[in-house]
Amino acid sequence: MSAVIPYHRVNVLTGIKSARLIEDAQEYASLVQKARRPLLVLGPLLLKWSLDGKLLIEYALEIAKAANIPTCATAHVRAKMAELGVKPDSFYDVVEIINALKDPNWRGVKKEGNHDLVLFFGIRSDLGEQGLSVLKHFAPHLKTMTLCKFYYPHANYSLPNFRKDEQWKAFLESLIDNLKKGV
Amino acid sequence: MAEKKEITRKLEEIHEKIRAEIPWEPVGPTPMPEIPDLRQWDMRLLKTYAPFYAPFCDLCCFCTYGKCDLTETRRGACGIDIATQQARFVLLACLMGCSAHTAHAGHILEFLIERYGPDKKIDLGGSINIEAPHIRTVVGLKPETLGDLVIAIEYVFKEITHLLDSTAMGQEGSCLDYESKALHAGMLDHVGMEVADIAQIVGFNYPTSVADTPLIDLGWAAVDKSKPVILFVGHNPATSTVVIDYLRENNLYDQVEVCGVCCTALETSRYSAKAKVVGPFSRQLFFIRSGIADVIMTDEQCIRTDMPVEASKAGSALIATLDKAMYGLEDATEMDTEEIVKQMVEDKKHFAILDPRKAAEVAAKVAMEIAPQRRKEWLSEGEAKELASKCNVCGMCEQVCPNLFNIGAGIAEVAKGKFDLLREQFNLCVGCGKCEAECPRKIPIFKIMQVAASKESWKVRAGRGSIMDTEIRTVGAPITLGTIPGVVAIVGCSNFPDIRDIAEMVDEFAKRKYIVVVSGCSAMVAGMWKDADGKTVYEKYPPAFDMGGVVNVGSCVANAHITGAAIKIANIFAALPLRGNYEVMADYVLNRVGAVGVAWGAYSQKAASIATGCNRLGIPVILGPHSSKYRRLYLSRKEEDDWRVMDARKKEIVDTGEPSPEHLAYVCETKEKAMVMIPKLCIRKNDTPQGRAIKLNHYISLHKKYMGGGLPEDIYLFVRRDPDIPLVYKKEVRAYLQEIGWKPKEPVGLPTLIGTYPSKVPVDAVIH
Ligand code: SF4
Ligand code: SF4
Ligand code: SF4
Repeated sequence: MSAVIPYHRVNVLTGIKSARLIEDAQEYASLVQKARRPLLVLGPLLLKWSLDGKLLIEYALEIAKAANIPTCATAHVRAKMAELGVKPDSFYDVVEIINALKDPNWRGVKKEGNHDLVLFFGIRSDLGEQGLSVLKHFAPHLKTMTLCKFYYPHANYSLPNFRKDEQWKAFLESLIDNLKKGV
Repeated sequence: MAEKKEITRKLEEIHEKIRAEIPWEPVGPTPMPEIPDLRQWDMRLLKTYAPFYAPFCDLCCFCTYGKCDLTETRRGACGIDIATQQARFVLLACLMGCSAHTAHAGHILEFLIERYGPDKKIDLGGSINIEAPHIRTVVGLKPETLGDLVIAIEYVFKEITHLLDSTAMGQEGSCLDYESKALHAGMLDHVGMEVADIAQIVGFNYPTSVADTPLIDLGWAAVDKSKPVILFVGHNPATSTVVIDYLRENNLYDQVEVCGVCCTALETSRYSAKAKVVGPFSRQLFFIRSGIADVIMTDEQCIRTDMPVEASKAGSALIATLDKAMYGLEDATEMDTEEIVKQMVEDKKHFAILDPRKAAEVAAKVAMEIAPQRRKEWLSEGEAKELASKCNVCGMCEQVCPNLFNIGAGIAEVAKGKFDLLREQFNLCVGCGKCEAECPRKIPIFKIMQVAASKESWKVRAGRGSIMDTEIRTVGAPITLGTIPGVVAIVGCSNFPDIRDIAEMVDEFAKRKYIVVVSGCSAMVAGMWKDADGKTVYEKYPPAFDMGGVVNVGSCVANAHITGAAIKIANIFAALPLRGNYEVMADYVLNRVGAVGVAWGAYSQKAASIATGCNRLGIPVILGPHSSKYRRLYLSRKEEDDWRVMDARKKEIVDTGEPSPEHLAYVCETKEKAMVMIPKLCIRKNDTPQGRAIKLNHYISLHKKYMGGGLPEDIYLFVRRDPDIPLVYKKEVRAYLQEIGWKPKEPVGLPTLIGTYPSKVPVDAVIH
């Protein structure tokens, strides 16, 4: 298989180990549901991006709710969440949460133990990819997954580069449905 | 025995070089420190602020054993692991940066010593006695002449060689030791920068011992394109100052427009307030492609590597004036001046000319000859629409954009006669030109951007060099007590997520009575905004190094004056001896000087070394989102980390549990987050209750402003006792503290790290 090139060329992989590309929302849902202690990291692009007039933060919160995943609000995401009346489960900036996740003995945002699956959503892609690199190299105890519309080679599981927003929207909606159904 | 003798001889040599017998201060434990000398201090810092590595590549390709895959637990054929490889890379970046500044300093010194001789006195004016805080602290020398600066620079050159040696294949195997070396390189960089700027101030008669330097015209629209235009690009003013001399001597200065991009522009405007500052590095290609410059003169650092191609495309003449970048051009230094001019005008040839006098004459003559024949008009909206109409919104430009935005969407809007999106995007553009190179339809994106670029001009205050001793005397107490809430140094390059962030940050913190210091490209960009009254931050705020002041120290090398001011606080205000006494200075700054660096658009290796030098001196640095690509940060784990200090008065180790400053090198994704981190990273253990309350007031109020209300969750870590709580938030904070079961703790009388790790420095050394 030839390597998938990330949409933003700045993230092109110079290495061997790259993310498994998954397009099937059901497969994503089942990976999430198999996780014992997942975590959803929310980035500030969720406040900028929308699909058909619906802000991405709303999709993110539906995902969190559907699978009961604790959230971590980075940057100024909490400001919008306060507006929406939702309290994040934790507040760390992106490099801080990654720094904590690196430590296998960290007790996690729920103080129940470190997380085994971390979903990243809405972080600018170069910073996100660098963060995923940290975890790929220094956190063998957990897996990472991305929900943005680009391929992230440093993740364990990544979406493809969706050419059309409709494909991404369909994926996110199907993911939410599958999580709700509890496949 | 033999070893001991060797060390003694070495020390003797050092004492000779620094004229130890002149007792302006006793010589401390580490004059001219070598790699191991400050290692224990570094290790103590790295214990709390552990390196955080974000590998940019999974491979190493440094030697012919490679490429080696370093993923997971794999090691290279030489035995290196991924963390150590990152640290090696960081050290290399710091060495590149340190070398750039130090070589710049070396060149300027040579140039000036040639002109004035080595005995030219260093005199920075009546308000500056501590002329060289870094050289005094690190080298142990009180430099009196240009010749003395050579001693400092030679020490840095020597250390660079040892450090660079350690990066060769098959040597250092510890990431922490590489970090210690990177910190060493960073510290040396500040010495190199200090030499460069002192030499420049002395040799070029720049303003010194004065705050109220002239306001300089800023922006591409400030350039009078009806005149022949000479553009300087880079950092080194050796040639640009000579060009001005030449124009003055020949009564041409009114006829020729002189301007610059990047730091040479700032330098030149310190020499002559008539010189215009076009803008930061991120506007370099934009301005060059506009064709407004008739002659482009490059020197060193932050000049594009494709300059001959770009100059030819724009129909500009190019002169490379320094050996750092000769672009494969013919070296015309020995050639007849008239012949060079003829070939440049008639054959459109570019040349390298390393003699500033000759380069100046050629530049002036060529500019005057070719200017009348060149078209220098900004593109009209109609022309832009026409050019943009070829765009088929393929998205190729977005994929290569390092700032990750879709310029193609803006171009497509222009094709429809709408310019708002492109105007917005111009603020995000870092000026790399990758989009245009990638465009399959060959759309001249930069040309089209001309219709989006503001045609306003602004003001930037000319760089003023060192902070005055008199100012330090005034602010020393309030800074260390915390009643001036902090010194915010907004510095460095222009890889900004959004160019507007800088003026907003400057305005926010100057308004709040922080001392705001700026330099380099950030100093220019700070001026590219006007308030409702049409004032830039330089007109709105006083230029004093005092609360609510906005101080432009100058170019990149002037950053040494910012860190130098921190050392001066320890030396002048606290009366701690600085000579060969780096550890004590750094410890003082870390625990007592609430200063934070913000390098929001850092891209260069120089920024890496400057920041790392700040870190060794105990100054935390906040970086913009691109900076995760530097591969390494220094982060603490908040309360989980080691926050023990020695109370120097009681000689007791106290576990403060207070993460101040919380991180040493930190990346923020958004301006909003940076706005909240800046006040937090100004908190120091030495703050008095009154000072702490002021600092927390800003931390809380900025948190409320940018984070949607509420209190910062970690506020409990920074409240020691009730008087630390700011009055306006008393009720809210008390209620929160009660809810989480907070317990008061005693502030530490005289906090220091000395005594908490193995060091030759006795605890008493920090008591003033
Ligand atoms: S320096 Fe080491 S890791 Fe790098 S290529 Fe050579 S053997 Fe491999
Ligand atoms: S690459 Fe060229 S044609 Fe394609 S979207 Fe960008 S400007 Fe338009
Ligand atoms: S020149 Fe500007 S728009 Fe084009 S790729 Fe570079 S940053 Fe992006």
